[in-house]
Formats: sequence, C-alpha cells, structure tokens
Amino acid sequence: MTSLRREPRFTERRPTAVAGRRPRVRLAANAALAVIGMCFVLPLAWLLLASVDPHAGYQTRWPQSPSFANFAAVLTPELLFVPLLNSLLLSAGTAVVNLAASVLAAYPLSRYQSRFNKPFLYAILFGTSLPVTAIMVPVYGLFVQLQLLDSMPATIFFMATTTLPMAIWMTKNFMDSVPLELEEAAWMDGASGLATLRRIVVPLMRQGLGVVFIFVFIQAWGNFFVPFILLLSTAKQPAAVSVFSFFGQHGAIAYGELAAFSILYSVPVLVLYTVVARGSGSAFALSGAMKG
Amino acid sequence: MPVPDSLHRGSLRRRFRLLPVVPSILLLVLFMLAPVAWSFYASFTNAALSGKAALNPQWIGLDNYARMLTDSVFPLSAWLTVVFVAVSAILGQNVLGLVIALLMTKSGGATASLVGTAVIASWVLPEIVAAFAAYAYFSQDGTLNQLLGMLGVYGANWLYAFPMAAVILANVWRGTAFSMLVYRAALAQVPRDISEAALMDGARGWQRLAFITLPIIRGSIATNLMLVTLQTLAVFTLIWVMTAGGPSNASTTLPVLAYQEAFKLGDIGYGTAIASVLILIGMVFGTVYVRLLRRANS
Amino acid sequence: MRRPARIGAALLGVVGLLASAACSTQPQANEKQTIKIVYQRTDSFTALDKVFKDAKQEFEAANSGVTVDLQPIQANDDDYGTKLALAQRSPDTAPDVFYEDTFKVRSDVDAGYLMKLDSQLANWDEWSKFNESAKAAGRGDDGSVYAVPLGTDTRAIWYNKTVLQKAGIPLPWQPKTWDDILAAARKMKAADPSVIPFSMYAGKGTGEGTVMQSFYELLYGTGSSLYSESDKKWVVGSKGFTDSLQFLKTLYDERLSVTPADALDSNVWKKVFGQWLPQGKMGATVEGSYAPSFWQKGGSYEWAGYAQDMGVAKFPTQFGQDPGGVSMSGGWTLAVGAKTKSPGLAFKFLATAVNKKNALAFDVNNSQIAVRADVASDPGYQAANPFVKDVSDLVGVTHYRPATADYPKISLAVQQATEAVITGKQGPAEAAAEYDASVKKLVGDAKVMQK
Repeated sequence: MTSLRREPRFTERRPTAVAGRRPRVRLAANAALAVIGMCFVLPLAWLLLASVDPHAGYQTRWPQSPSFANFAAVLTPELLFVPLLNSLLLSAGTAVVNLAASVLAAYPLSRYQSRFNKPFLYAILFGTSLPVTAIMVPVYGLFVQLQLLDSMPATIFFMATTTLPMAIWMTKNFMDSVPLELEEAAWMDGASGLATLRRIVVPLMRQGLGVVFIFVFIQAWGNFFVPFILLLSTAKQPAAVSVFSFFGQHGAIAYGELAAFSILYSVPVLVLYTVVARGSGSAFALSGAMKG
Repeated sequence: MPVPDSLHRGSLRRRFRLLPVVPSILLLVLFMLAPVAWSFYASFTNAALSGKAALNPQWIGLDNYARMLTDSVFPLSAWLTVVFVAVSAILGQNVLGLVIALLMTKSGGATASLVGTAVIASWVLPEIVAAFAAYAYFSQDGTLNQLLGMLGVYGANWLYAFPMAAVILANVWRGTAFSMLVYRAALAQVPRDISEAALMDGARGWQRLAFITLPIIRGSIATNLMLVTLQTLAVFTLIWVMTAGGPSNASTTLPVLAYQEAFKLGDIGYGTAIASVLILIGMVFGTVYVRLLRRANS
Repeated sequence: MRRPARIGAALLGVVGLLASAACSTQPQANEKQTIKIVYQRTDSFTALDKVFKDAKQEFEAANSGVTVDLQPIQANDDDYGTKLALAQRSPDTAPDVFYEDTFKVRSDVDAGYLMKLDSQLANWDEWSKFNESAKAAGRGDDGSVYAVPLGTDTRAIWYNKTVLQKAGIPLPWQPKTWDDILAAARKMKAADPSVIPFSMYAGKGTGEGTVMQSFYELLYGTGSSLYSESDKKWVVGSKGFTDSLQFLKTLYDERLSVTPADALDSNVWKKVFGQWLPQGKMGATVEGSYAPSFWQKGGSYEWAGYAQDMGVAKFPTQFGQDPGGVSMSGGWTLAVGAKTKSPGLAFKFLATAVNKKNALAFDVNNSQIAVRADVASDPGYQAANPFVKDVSDLVGVTHYRPATADYPKISLAVQQATEAVITGKQGPAEAAAEYDASVKKLVGDAKVMQK
C-alpha cells in the first residue's frame, strides 16, 4: 500500500554543503516516524493476533496455540457468506449507479462551456460537505413516505448519491485530461456524442474510472449507518451490520471470532485499495484527499 | 476546454447537451436536497415512532428548538462536539498529519513508506472494524493498559473514566491518514530551491517551516482543515461502538444525540431538529470551503 | 443531429432504472398469501424462534397455499424495539404478526400499529383459558384487546448457596429489610473480597433490566410508586425515590455490586448468568423468573448444578413493611399489525403460535410463568425447573409497569438517574430532582403529582 510511489523525493540524493548534517536529521526523522508508526500499528496488532488465538481476550499477546479455529467458526453462510454477498451487491450496485451517473454528468461539464458549469460544480462541492449522519434521520423519514424502506435498490441509489458529488468531481478531472483530438475525428465521421463518449472517451479513461469505482466501492463497503437504518430484514443486511450484531451478542465472549470476522470483512477493501494505490499512485491519493 | 465552433450551433442543442447531467441532478435532489428539506420541516413537528404523534404529527412551531435550550443534554452535547472536532480533527489529525508528512520529507524511503502504510491501513479499514479495534485497545484489559503496565503504571478503564479522550484518540488514529496524504501532496509541490536557499542563509529548521514552507502550502492547510472538520462532525459509528455516548452522556456528540432521540426514544421531531442544527453547521463550513477553493482556483 | 436523441434515450434509461427501483418494492399481486412474522432471536434467546418454526410448519400444513415468512431480528431488547418501530412506520415493511413487549402495547396502539382483536377473540374458544391479569397486558386505553400474552414473569433474588455458606449466612436466606441485604452483602465481602456480593443493575446500558430488575423492586418497597393509577398522574418528589437511589449508591460505593463500568455494559447480564453466578464469583442478584432458562439443558449457559447451588428469595420491602416483599412483572405478547392485508390469516397464525402445545414449549424453554390455565396445570410445566412454584407465588406481591404511552421515556429518565448516581455524577437528591424536572418536561405539569 505505497500510495505515493511517484512522489518526487527531493530530500534524497543531494550531496550539498550541508551533507554532513543530513544523516543525523534523517536518523531523528526515522526514529520519530517509527514511534508514530508503532502507535498506529498497535491497535491493529490486537486484531491480527486475536484472530488466530482461540482463547483471545482484549489483551494483545502471542497466541499460545495459534489456529484458524476462529475463522472456521465464522465461516458459515448465515454469519459470513450471505452478509458478504449483500455487501458485494450493495457496494457494486452503488459503484455502478454512481459511475453511470457521474460519467454522463461529467461529459458535458468537461466538453462544453456553459454558464451552468461553474455554479453546478460549486454546488456539487458544497454537497460533499453535508454530514451524512445528520441526514440519516430525515432520510429514514423520506424512505417511509416513499415506501422505500428495506429496499436494496433504493438503498443503493441513496448510497450512490452520497458519494456522487465527489465522484462527479473526480470523473470530470479525469475526463479533462483525455485529449480532445480523437473525439473531434469521430465527430467529423458523424458519430454522436454518446457514441464518442462510449467508444473513445470511456476506454481512454478506463484507469481513472477504475479509481472512481473503487473509491465508491470502498466507501459503500465500509458503510454501517446507512444500511443499519434503511435495511431492516436480516436477509438483506450487509457485513457491516452483521459484524455489529455479532459484537452485540458475542462481543463480550468470542473476542477471537469477532477479530476473525472483522478481518475477513476488511480484506476485500484492503486488497482493492492496494490495487488502486499501485496502479495509479498519487491519482488515488489525491482523489482520496478530496473525499468529503 | 476549447470546443470546435461547429458544435456551438443552436441554443436548443446547447440545452440538450446538458441532458446527461439530469440523472445526477435527479439523484441529488431526491436523496440529498429532499431529506434536508424534510429535516427542516419535521423539526417543526412532534413526529414520533410510537404513540399518538406517530399517527398524526402536529405542527409545534419552534418548540423543538426551544427545548434544546432547556434540555440538560443538548448544551453538553454541543460542547462535546466542539471539543471532539477541535481536539481530534483540528489539533490531532491536522497537526499530526503535517508532522508525519514533514518527517517523511526528511526520512528515508523505506521507513516513510512503511509508516505510511501503517497510517493508511487504519483509514482504509471499514469504520466498524476500526471502532472494534479501538474498543479493544482502550478497554480495561486492553493493549493500552498492558503497555502502561509494562511501564509500571496502573491504567484506567479508559472508555468509562475518560470516554472523550478515548474517542478523540481513536479518531486521530483513524483519520490522520487523510491529512497526511494532503500534506504529502502539498509538500511535494514546494519548490526545492526556496527551502534550500533559506538553508544556505542559515535559517533554522523551524524558521524555514514557519516563514517559508507553511505560507506556501497555506491553501492546502485551509482545505484540509475544512475537510477534516466536516468529516469529524459526522463521526457516529466510532463513538457508538466504543461508548454509545456514555457514561452518563459524557461522550454524546450531536450525531449520537440525534440518533438516540430519533430512533431510541422515537422522537423524530426532536431528532430532526438536532440533525438540522448539524446540517446548518455543515453548510456554514461548506460555504467557507467552497469560497476557499474558489479563491485558490481564480 | 441524432446526438441529442441518443442522449435523451440514455437519460430515459436511467430514469427508468430509478423508477423501476422505486417500483420494485411494490407488493406483488399474490402477496396476500404470505404472512410476515417479525420477532426477536439472539443466541441466548431461541425459545421463540423454535416456537415460530413449529407453528409455521403446523400452519402451512393446515392452510395450503399460505407461506409464513419468518423474519427474526437479531438484537437485544432495546435494539429490537427500535427496529420493530422503524419497520412499523411503512405499510411495506410492517409485519403481519409480531412479538411485542407489554410495556410498548399502549404506545403502539396509540400510534395505530396494532389491530383490534376483539371480534376475533370473541370467536376463539381458547381465549377463556387465559388468566385475567395477563389479558389486561394486551388491552389498550379504549378497553379493547390488541395483543395476546405469551407468558409473564416475576423478579426475585437469586443467590448462590455456596457463596452465602462461606460467609456464614444461614440458608435458606430470606432478607426482611434492605439493611438485611446490606449486612449479608458486607459479610460476603468480608469472607471473600473477590466476590461480587449483591449486584443490582443500574444505568442505561441494561435498559429495562435496570428498572425491572433493580430500581422498581426498591421503589415499590418504599410504599411509593412511579405512577398513580387512580389519579392518572406521575409521582415526583417522593422520599422513596431518593431512598432507592441512595440504596444503589451504597451498593456501588461499597463495591458490593459490580463496578460502575461493568454496570454500564449492555452485556453485563451475560456475565452474571454465564460466569459470575455459576463460578461462585457473585453472591446474589435480582433477576427474572426466567433465570433457569439460561442454565437448563439447551440453555445458552448450561449449568447442571444450578438446581442445587442456586436459591430464590423474595425481594424485601424497605423496613419489612407489608406485604413483606416486592416483585415486578412484565412479559411479551403477540400482536397483529394494523396494516396487515390478511387479518384473518394473521390472527389464525397467532392463535397457532399460542396454542397449548406451543405455549407450553415456550413457557418451559424460556422459563416463563404460564398465562393459560391448561398450561399452568400441565405436569410438564410444573416440573420444568425446581423454582417454578417459588417464582409463581411472587405473583401475589407483584407490580406492573404503568401501561401508558409515556412510559418508555419516563423509564429512560429513571435509568438516567441511576446512572448519574452510580457514576458519582450526581448525589441521590440531585439526581431525583433532575428526574422530577425531566418528568415534568416530558408529560407536562398537569400530569404530575407531588407525593
């Protein structure tokens, strides 16, 4: 997960007059960083160690008899597979809806000048700053009125909307960097706007779209509050909610299983993040930096 | 973006060009604007999950807002929210993120990328998992007390005795990656010669930082402050899992209070009033944020 | 030329997608042949799940073409209540038959969630087998019946005989006053400082458990009460209220109870049943008559020795005044959703779920006190555990929660007061004053009386 691999490292390789002072500064910086890094790793260490310790408590310790018993215990359809499948449906659905809407919206914003563009983009930006937890109470009320409660598609559309402002913003930036020449040629040949978008622009910004897709997917995958309020039947609940009810019921007893469950649930997003961070480095870091 | 002249013909077609934006607008209006509007509307009623008011919500004017002023929990909760945002976001995440990014510019590649990975890992983890890890870390026989024990200090039951400190530290742990990424990107843009020239002039490290580096990246600092504030304002899951707002409301920030009032107590009207206050605060910060970016762009 | 048209078509597609999402939640045409049942299931509460699974089989066999859709909600009592309320707001998600706590019945009747059952009950010959006080639990303010009780319960002191013996307390133990309890608890603490001598719940973590299994036993033993049924007013400013808080404060300050941090953990009762009592680390606690359901065979904390090691005592009044003991009763009911599209089928299923066979299974597995005369007289019920008679006798000194729509909020204010006292945030008098103020704010000055 080296996220900024292409970042220029201007402090290295510079034999200057101050070179004599460099190693000490560097050593001190490394030491300080190592301490900070330790602080960040510690809470995660418990998660990893407890998951392979059948007698885990809240203490961080080396398991006396490490085993995968905790993982085996949670590998049941009801506990793990169905919730994970629901998470997958929700997150992929959200990402697809989001991507479709934001590619369509970004195209005219990127390709045509209009008095409408600027205010719209700023409005979108404003939208990214709305605290989603604050609108959950009214959203619940809205879903009751529209009779959308416990509906997977409606929840997908809502989750897609909460990340939409950011996605439009990112997609437009990616699209801006796709050169116009190829499209112009296609237009000359009489292709429609949508056809050029589909055949030329989208393939060219595949990587950027991948970033947006994964960005939205990770957000949706980790979302607990929205499905917790909007999806009521157990059969539709994603892993975030089932982890929570597992904690409520077994949290005080089966620490190891909780840790194993949490890890199995986290692995997909960790993998996805690594893929993106390796593939497009700083692009994702920056888009992440814009996360609202 | 230059557009061929031939594409500019006809205002009708120009309007049609904007058609693809419509689905996004529909979604945004339906799922963001409408809930916000509904929130303000419902905050003037006594809408509820149970009882007579569930059947026929009544218009009660400003009663819910007046109740906030006399409620013993709301002022506490508003204060805790300020503390939570100020300490964990503005001080914690923001400063620590900057420090890490600065240290990284001074340190070697391997350490920087390892530490970067550690910091980012807690950020990429699903919120609920991060919350459990933090819960375990701060619990009575958790890792923190183990460490203190090694130093010969008998630790407290953090989640009970110092709930705000625990959730603040947890939020710093979880959210610093974001500020770190922003500042790494920003520092990468600082021209090398400027800082080196200052170095030649014999300026000390902190002087260079205060008078040269920070002013150059002030745009990023402002943006980052806005964003971390907004994100922290909305934190719910972390607190809910770690302390559920307790003990005795000692860690009930506004999102937790809104949830409790609306869903635990079924008082949708009062819950939406609290949510509306939060939305208003978000809007103020949002406006400032958009202004900042606008100035940076022009 | 064709460009705008294409874009328009794509747009239509997206709008269509949106519309279809909105429509997909619309009920299907033949849905009336499916009835949806919502209830609670946790890993330590599976008795009801079993009853419903049996009832589903029985019902589907007898009514071909009807599907019973069981939708258990996995959550504790508190979260179950929230989830149920969330589902009831919308006709699509509202269940046909559901499991409802007695104290929520009136509030939910007011909200229009429960169907009036009078006409169905009139034609149901088994209704006469239910005892009268249990029937009252399902009655709304208008006198009509809206819910059918599954079972009821009482609360008592459950003590571990070995812990008491070690402290030299003669058995069987029956404290006569609050001071007797404190004296015994102090003895236990002196004999073994590592045991938790006498634990009583407090704080919001344990929710209704805090009031039902702790505070009300105290309050109703002082001669005061929460609500005056005759005046239809909430009681504030009573000395009994402050005394009760003071008793809790003493328990927690002297470390006779669990630590305040443990008390605020909503899972603390699992440790009480699963670890502390069976392992002899707790002397006594106040818990429901359903306690044996956790320990008996098939329970979540099986403990073969519970029948010998545990004893039951009546919770005493403050100074031993009449009637010499206090208990609280609650219990759960089944109700039919007001928005059901097939009321006939829904009630028929409800009747199947509470028939003699199923009610017996539920009462035995969940250690409930029977509300049907034919179940109460069944030998299987009486032999279910060694404590059936003891806890059933407590019905004589039991109290019920005020069945008003305001009750849940008042209960929370009480829980808040206990939490403030055990955490040391407020003294008993201060917390009682704050409780009085909240009650006035919640129900209005007109519905409050000083006592």
